[in-house]
Amino acid sequence: MNGMVIQLLGSAVAVAAMVALAAWARIPRPTPPLDAEAVRRLLAIDYPDNLLEDIWIAADGAGAIVRSGPRALVLSRLGDSWVTRDIAWEAALAAPIRGGRVRLKLADPSAPRLSLAVSGVNPWPPQGDLELAA
Amino acid sequence: MTLDPIKPAFDPVTWAIPVFVITIVGEIILGRLGKVKANYEARDTATSLLMGLGSTIAGALLAGSIALVSIWIWENHRLLDIPMTAWWAWLAIFFLEDATYYWFHRIAHERRFWWASHVNHHSSQHYNLATALRQTWTGGVAGTWLLWLPLALIGFPPAMIAIQKGISLVYQYWIHTEAIRRMPRWFEAVFNTPSHHRVHHARNARYLDANYAGILIIWDRMFGTFIPEDEAEPPRYGLVKNLGDFNILRVAFHEWIGIGKDLMSARSPRDVIGYLFGPPGWSPDGSRETSATLKARWRERQAAAEADPAPPMAAE
Ligand SMILES: [Zn+2]
Ligand SMILES: [Zn+2]
Repeated sequence: MNGMVIQLLGSAVAVAAMVALAAWARIPRPTPPLDAEAVRRLLAIDYPDNLLEDIWIAADGAGAIVRSGPRALVLSRLGDSWVTRDIAWEAALAAPIRGGRVRLKLADPSAPRLSLAVSGVNPWPPQGDLELAA
Repeated sequence: MTLDPIKPAFDPVTWAIPVFVITIVGEIILGRLGKVKANYEARDTATSLLMGLGSTIAGALLAGSIALVSIWIWENHRLLDIPMTAWWAWLAIFFLEDATYYWFHRIAHERRFWWASHVNHHSSQHYNLATALRQTWTGGVAGTWLLWLPLALIGFPPAMIAIQKGISLVYQYWIHTEAIRRMPRWFEAVFNTPSHHRVHHARNARYLDANYAGILIIWDRMFGTFIPEDEAEPPRYGLVKNLGDFNILRVAFHEWIGIGKDLMSARSPRDVIGYLFGPPGWSPDGSRETSATLKARWRERQAAAEADPAPPMAAE
């Protein structure tokens, strides 16, 4: 038993050291802030057959919500990678904003919540385009 | 020379742990120096390594009872007496264990109940040596270990089976890297390699459900699941629907929770069986994506692109 505890502690220290090294190395994939072009390219991977209508990009450039007919395609950065999901457009419009982020609830245990940064100049839902809210 | 047929003389995985640490450090440093292709993201790395650590704990909790079943079968019902010291016995178990692994791995991808346990190994969007250690916590519960019992029934000593399983796991470690592009041609023909296993970890529709090999790629070639890596289409790693965060509990349990939720909504025995043992993504009305539907749509797009070489979506 003692041996196992020591082994576990040793492994935990090794894990911490490797994670620290990975952080120090700074070799993630580059993820510059999104622009419309990048949003289209990234969403085309998971939604190749969808027509992308209105593109809204999060205030920090780390996510996007795009209308595609009755659906909202959501793109969200996780570390140096991307996560996509789609929800009803109405549900996306109705999503609450807390702590400067629009909080999207998904009925999916693999990604129950995604949140994207909003700001005064970049509010959600997008303003000034009444068509969007219709 | 004598070898204990019950208690393994050594555990290949335990012996390999220092090698794991040294090679991960090496891959990160070489990646940092730009000598090899290697991407690490600290939180992703932490998740992979903690899953590995957790799996050794989960494994240890169940290993005893699982070993007892194997020992009981071997002691009471074995068909042959296979000496652990014979070279041919090791040669035989090398092939038989590897074939067992192929079928385990194929079921683990093609049937949701077993996918729920194996999915975590594929949940990283990275492909590096740390990803190799992203191992399941729920394999014992999923019961995939049952597939190795026939080896004990044939008469292979339980310790021998355990050692060979360990050797296979250690072999599969080094192939989780982008640092190696291709091994020599003869090696790629026979063995599982970084290139073959990159395809296995890819979420590109064309690469789904391929290359289930453990050590030898010959099983995929034999049973029609081999897909070579195409230089023109680099693999994108992870799940068809990637996880929304780095929470290790989500990594370990999300698909089990999904199964539970689906079962609550099941309205017939057919639904129950489909949700449990259908392909991942199965739904009563077919509204969700499965590998088969994703591949079919990819093929349609390919055909359309060939018919009309310049539509806007031709590249994907
Ligand atoms: Zn797999
Ligand atoms: Zn793997």
